[in-house]
Amino acid sequence: MTDPAGDLRVYAEYDRDFTEEVDVVVVGSGPSGAVVAKELTDAGKRVALLEEGPPFTPQEYELDGALSMARTMREGGLRATRGTVMPTMQAIALGGGSLVNSAICNRAPEFVLDRWCTDFELDHTTLSDLDPHYDAVGAFLGIAPTPENVQGERNLGFKRGCDALGYSSEPCQRNVRGCRGSGECFTGCRMRAKQSMDITYIPAALRGGARVLTSVRVEEVRTDGRRVLGVSGRVVAPFTGRPSHRFRVNARAVVLAAGCMATPVILQKSGNLANRSGQVGENLQFHPGVAIMGVFPDPVHPEFGATQGYQSRHFLRDGFKLETLWAPPAVLAVRMPGSGDAFKRRLAQIPHAAIWDAIASCSRSLGRVRARRSGLDPRLTWTLHRDDVPILAKALWTLAEIFFAAGARSIVPGVHGIPDELHSRSEAEILRTHPLKASDVVSGGNHAFCTTRMHGDPTRGVVDEDGKCHDYENLWIADTGIFPRCPSVNPMWTGMALAHRMAGILAERL
Amino acid sequence: MGWILIAVALAYAVARVAFGYRAPESPLPCLTRGEAAFLAAAADATFPSGGALPSSGRDARVPAYINRLLEVSHPRMRLQMRLLFFLLEHGTLFFPAPGISGFRRFSALTGEQRVAVLEGWGSSRYWQRRLVFTSLRALLTLGYFAHPPVLRALGLAPFALRSPICEADLLYPRIGAHPSSIALTSADLTPASDGTPIALGAPIDPRYAENAP
Repeated sequence: MTDPAGDLRVYAEYDRDFTEEVDVVVVGSGPSGAVVAKELTDAGKRVALLEEGPPFTPQEYELDGALSMARTMREGGLRATRGTVMPTMQAIALGGGSLVNSAICNRAPEFVLDRWCTDFELDHTTLSDLDPHYDAVGAFLGIAPTPENVQGERNLGFKRGCDALGYSSEPCQRNVRGCRGSGECFTGCRMRAKQSMDITYIPAALRGGARVLTSVRVEEVRTDGRRVLGVSGRVVAPFTGRPSHRFRVNARAVVLAAGCMATPVILQKSGNLANRSGQVGENLQFHPGVAIMGVFPDPVHPEFGATQGYQSRHFLRDGFKLETLWAPPAVLAVRMPGSGDAFKRRLAQIPHAAIWDAIASCSRSLGRVRARRSGLDPRLTWTLHRDDVPILAKALWTLAEIFFAAGARSIVPGVHGIPDELHSRSEAEILRTHPLKASDVVSGGNHAFCTTRMHGDPTRGVVDEDGKCHDYENLWIADTGIFPRCPSVNPMWTGMALAHRMAGILAERL
Repeated sequence: MGWILIAVALAYAVARVAFGYRAPESPLPCLTRGEAAFLAAAADATFPSGGALPSSGRDARVPAYINRLLEVSHPRMRLQMRLLFFLLEHGTLFFPAPGISGFRRFSALTGEQRVAVLEGWGSSRYWQRRLVFTSLRALLTLGYFAHPPVLRALGLAPFALRSPICEADLLYPRIGAHPSSIALTSADLTPASDGTPIALGAPIDPRYAENAP
């Protein structure tokens, strides 16, 4: 290993206002931004990668779920939408969400990308167009199916249930090397097995000569006519966000990769930039998630196994994908019903329990992102459309079916208006027959998209399908905000593939 | 006459909100006395002593955990949590507990009344009330599980793991520290994880051990 040619700066090093000159400034070090930074440095460009959060090492990880979220998530992990109230999260750390996600990597289904092309006037965003970019990212990160020896019973039980019902399922592909099954993906992988951006793309970008500035908050994209000049903002203290020195980065091109909930805020705070279409901050979509806990007669030992090791894409065309799930027990227990002794009895069942979840493609359920007076934390509104509720209902029923097929003795659906515990498949029929309302379900806002969507028509989208803003010659966006619609599967790999393609195009144009 | 009634009502409101709370057993600088009393009462109602898990909410020192959580929370979230505690502590004015003393503040109710009040919020036909209950119970549950004996009793304490030293460890200092504090060199790098599955029953992280500080 050689010393990096680039330079990483942390909070303790800033002692005055400063200005940087580079070819490209990339705002946000999550999966998309990290790919862009590395690919552009490989192409010989001078790159500055800006991140508001600090770098974390395993010594900094909190094993406790809430304290971990308080340190690694914006708004302490307690962000929620208005309208339909739903918790959602955004990381604030070098490496972004890759530090605290479960590393699931899926290529977007062919039918989804075909619909994107048809409905949003895109020419070259089919699966075969994106495959080379998926391949490049996959090879770099070692994306591979989760090995059977680290699945554990809570993942393998899901496979058994799917097999019994004839539903297809497969080990999740993940950006992981050497997983030992600690189930700690959400609080940071202490084994360094998860190939998060802070240990992969960002060190590679540094080796290529990138400047990585952490603890800097971009507050404005500066412009001159149809061109952007760079960005400016403040140094901020880790965790408190207290601002100090001012900085400016002058660049020939700006790439915003601050995430679908922060990039529109930066544009809005920069004088409603790049919004001739009126679409900046609009069309917010999620994959709302629902989960069921199943209790088995024998111990499941849920503490062992890949966090999310198995999945089923059998129902993608019905609007949902099924997955196994593990998280700090405190986080899982939040959804369980009851108080007092009954609640404690339920908690005591966790060692015999597995949690399986569904993420839904609710593309009729839309929201928006608006800037607050200070900082990059947005005001989010989002409403679960009544026509999307049956997708969640069917997903819940299907999860229940799989649990009983796998041998569960009961399930805890966590749905208002339905008994706290159901003991057989026939009892679970109520999940199919009960007229479910949006407010009956406790769902989580997994993944977020579309707030700066791509569209071939400049009057209907913010960026073109390469990620370049329609309104500016040298302003690009590279996060999941550019997705025109939810991708139906975990979005990280698709976001990175699009970023990989974008970096190649941008390098040629500079 | 009207002014007198208003003054009496105000005096009652102030007394109900601010007075009559004992100081918590140990200092909780981020919590008022009322908040600490409410959290202790809510934690004991949610996690009574005995039963399927040995620790009670009080044993688990849930108020102390929430005090710490408030310390590290975003100011907007801190305010929302405080409003939540206030609403539930004094919500019995509007949603009284069963029994003749049901209009007392939450922390002054009996154990059965507290459980009944919480279940009333949790099973309400109004989703907003259910949301309030879910939010409170989420905080209490996070605090309960942060108590190492709870995870030990469930056999779910995190495993003891030794992190490999990789290239990133040579690049990133501890948060808040200067890069010059990085003592590691490339000679300290260790092999990456080989993917050997962790054995069930493997030693648990020292922070969760029985004799942990």
